[in-house]
Amino acid sequence: MPARADRAESLEEVRQRILEVAERVAEALEKGEFPKIRYPPNSKGNIEFREDVGYIFRPKTFSEIEGSKVKSAKTLAGVLYGLAKALDHLQSGLTMTKRDFYYLHKVERLKGTLFPEDQRETDARIVLMELILGMPREAFSITSDPRGWIYGDIELVDMTGRTIRADRVGEMGYSVPPRPENIKFKRIGVKAVVAVEKVGPAKNMIELGIPEEYKLGIAILKGQASRSMRRFLRMLSDEGVPIAILTDFSPWSLRIAATVVYNSISSAHIPDLAAPEARFIGIIAEDIETGFFKDYQFALEPLTPADLKAAMDNVDLPNLQHPFWQRENEWFLKNKKKAELEIFKAMSPSAKRLKELFVSYLREKLEDRLGVSI
Amino acid sequence: MSPDVAELEQISAADFFYRNRSLAGFDNPVRATYTAVRELVENALDACELAGRPPKVMLTLENVGGGQSDGTSIYLLRVRDNGIGLRPEDVPAAFGKVFVSSKYRLMQSRGTFGLGGTMALLYGQITTNRPFKVISGRKGSPLYEFTMKIDIQRNEPVILGKRILAGVSRDSMTTVEFYFEGNYKRARPKIIDYLHQTAIVTPYADIMFIDPDGLFFYFSRTTDQIPPPPKETKFHPKGIDFELLKRLSETTRTRKLVSFLTTHFQRVGDKTAREILKRAGLSPDLNPKKLDDRQLEFLFRALVSYDNYLPPDPSVLSPLGPELWEEGIRKELRPEFVKAVQRPPAVVEGHPVIVETAIAYGGDIKPAGEVQLYRFANRIPLLYDVSSDVSYLVAKRINWSVYGIKSLEEEPIALFFHVVSTKVPFKTVGKEFIANKPELAREVELGWRACARDLRIYLSRKRRAQSAARRLEMLARYYKLIAEVLEELTGERPEVEPLLKKLAKKARIEESMGVIGGASES
Repeated sequence: MPARADRAESLEEVRQRILEVAERVAEALEKGEFPKIRYPPNSKGNIEFREDVGYIFRPKTFSEIEGSKVKSAKTLAGVLYGLAKALDHLQSGLTMTKRDFYYLHKVERLKGTLFPEDQRETDARIVLMELILGMPREAFSITSDPRGWIYGDIELVDMTGRTIRADRVGEMGYSVPPRPENIKFKRIGVKAVVAVEKVGPAKNMIELGIPEEYKLGIAILKGQASRSMRRFLRMLSDEGVPIAILTDFSPWSLRIAATVVYNSISSAHIPDLAAPEARFIGIIAEDIETGFFKDYQFALEPLTPADLKAAMDNVDLPNLQHPFWQRENEWFLKNKKKAELEIFKAMSPSAKRLKELFVSYLREKLEDRLGVSI
Repeated sequence: MSPDVAELEQISAADFFYRNRSLAGFDNPVRATYTAVRELVENALDACELAGRPPKVMLTLENVGGGQSDGTSIYLLRVRDNGIGLRPEDVPAAFGKVFVSSKYRLMQSRGTFGLGGTMALLYGQITTNRPFKVISGRKGSPLYEFTMKIDIQRNEPVILGKRILAGVSRDSMTTVEFYFEGNYKRARPKIIDYLHQTAIVTPYADIMFIDPDGLFFYFSRTTDQIPPPPKETKFHPKGIDFELLKRLSETTRTRKLVSFLTTHFQRVGDKTAREILKRAGLSPDLNPKKLDDRQLEFLFRALVSYDNYLPPDPSVLSPLGPELWEEGIRKELRPEFVKAVQRPPAVVEGHPVIVETAIAYGGDIKPAGEVQLYRFANRIPLLYDVSSDVSYLVAKRINWSVYGIKSLEEEPIALFFHVVSTKVPFKTVGKEFIANKPELAREVELGWRACARDLRIYLSRKRRAQSAARRLEMLARYYKLIAEVLEELTGERPEVEPLLKKLAKKARIEESMGVIGGASES
């Protein structure tokens, strides 16, 4: 298993690594040879899946960018150009998004060479740079739009050295930064963290005072959990905090939950994004059939064609092969319906009743799935 | 079978053609101008080739006035060749009499009707009522000038004047000049096209043309090599008709049927002759001159239905040969690629046939938006009715993409088709397109496919060379960028020029290997 990145790579380390690649190319050129860059591709054969740790990147085969062909000369030029831009940003303390990186290629100078047709081209090169450098893109200043918040009694020291309490910084809590590795936890006062797929229900929980009253942290994913959020949840998990995942009951939500637990294929080469100790608490089929929502089947939504396609694809996803996930998925294929977290609203005539419903659902699930009592 | 011919002899051949001049291409002044030029040029070329010397043909066309509003005018056409020249005693018959040419021999020749230019002279006389002149002589003999007319009803030459221009002719030559009513302005594109295409199929000929506007067109020869002249042979029994058989029987000197057959037909020996006569139920000892129509018919049926002859002798044919043809195409069209193929002799309707095909690509040949097809029969360009021609149908049915050509219409490619035969299977009386006979179509197709295989090799080499050049260019661009970026990263710009030079050298070697041939890369 790759060494755990306990901390972010330092600027100097990244710079050294970039220059190493550049100098190797320069050396070959000086000798009048075609430069070669060897790297482990994130192909299927190099990725393993284990139920207890999720996706692991374990390179068995290596690829080579061999600059004697036009296509690979382009790739080589692209990687070096990308690294030059990354280093420039890094040294100036600037970050860029994938979109920024794309625009850095839409320049006069690159016409007829690297001028991209669309962003997919430059996005793919970012992954290549990660594989070549053996570092996540955040290490070389390419960050996603930050997405994901944590609310609750958690005290941490961030990159700037400030101490922050995650229930004292705005109504949605602390916005998880692109490189959470730089964060140090000072004190953790929550019994568990509930990672909620949707913003609406999560905010309701905060607004109803549930985190304070029941010593819970609320992580707001807002859809598929971002890399930084997954990394942050893993860090909490490593600190011994039980992590619960609460999503819609739909084919997509299965993937969202499984990605938090096991990581995904496309980022399998980035270590420490999986949180294998995290538990998916719901909504699950049993809740609908015989459990918490059994009297509210009228509030279910039909599956869209895209939902149905996702359910069919789920049959083959490596991280959904455990019988539990497959049973859940079969329910969609059979019933062609889904439930959303907003179903709580369909059950509650008043705000007071909503809080009771949230609490009783969480109590039952946290006890059952994580052994946490609230 | 042929009552026309019987009648024809009663009304005189000249008279017949006078009444049916549209058949011979003189139906209007425009067409007549083109046909007149064409008939005389072909006569001239035939004369030179028979003499075994590279033709040198000079044409002048003068507008002598009498013009009408529709552009019609009187023209003087003068054609001079360096052929063998005529003896003075042969001149009147050669030019002043329309032959119904049932020659008792068989040989490939140009003349569309076997009439040479006499029809043109006749046409000139009909439209202008002026006499024509023939100046001819052989090297070392006197040079004569004849002024003549044709007595149309009697089909006889009328000599109006005869004089000696020079006591000793320096070279053998013949000049024919005559007046006719024509329209050059509208005939001009066809005439130029005709001369140009004639040059393609006659690269050993010098053809000069001064047109009525004083413009000089020169199609110069690029080789002295003339294709070997055809040999005369006897008829093959499969290629005769009843009328011909009748005439042969009337004029033969043989006294017995069996020797009649072995004397006048090829591929018929004594044994075959007796076999045929047995089938016809005729005695070998009968006198051929004394056969009645019934007996002739039995003989004809037996001759034509017998199936064990050897195929007709192809030595009567004189194909151009791939080298000469490629030369002609190269000099007139300047393509970057040309390949000609000569098919082995075949038989169509009892006559030997040789098909020659060629394909030219690129260079001065540009895409035309239509199939560029050059057709020739016995070295005569065919300029009309292309879309009905057997070769056009074959061109359309071949799947050219197999040979790296996506579209005949949109690519710089020209197709060539030449058929030589003692009887070219023209479809119509206008003799402008070749009938779609399966045996012929097959020959054309096989010929073009053979040319196209070479074209495919050429194109794939060319495309490979082009893509190698493109590849080199792109590599150079990327490596220059790489050098720049490395300078940004490390502060030092590495030398990429040695690598690029190495690449260029490698590419050049690969290319030259490809061109020299045989470099089989995967």
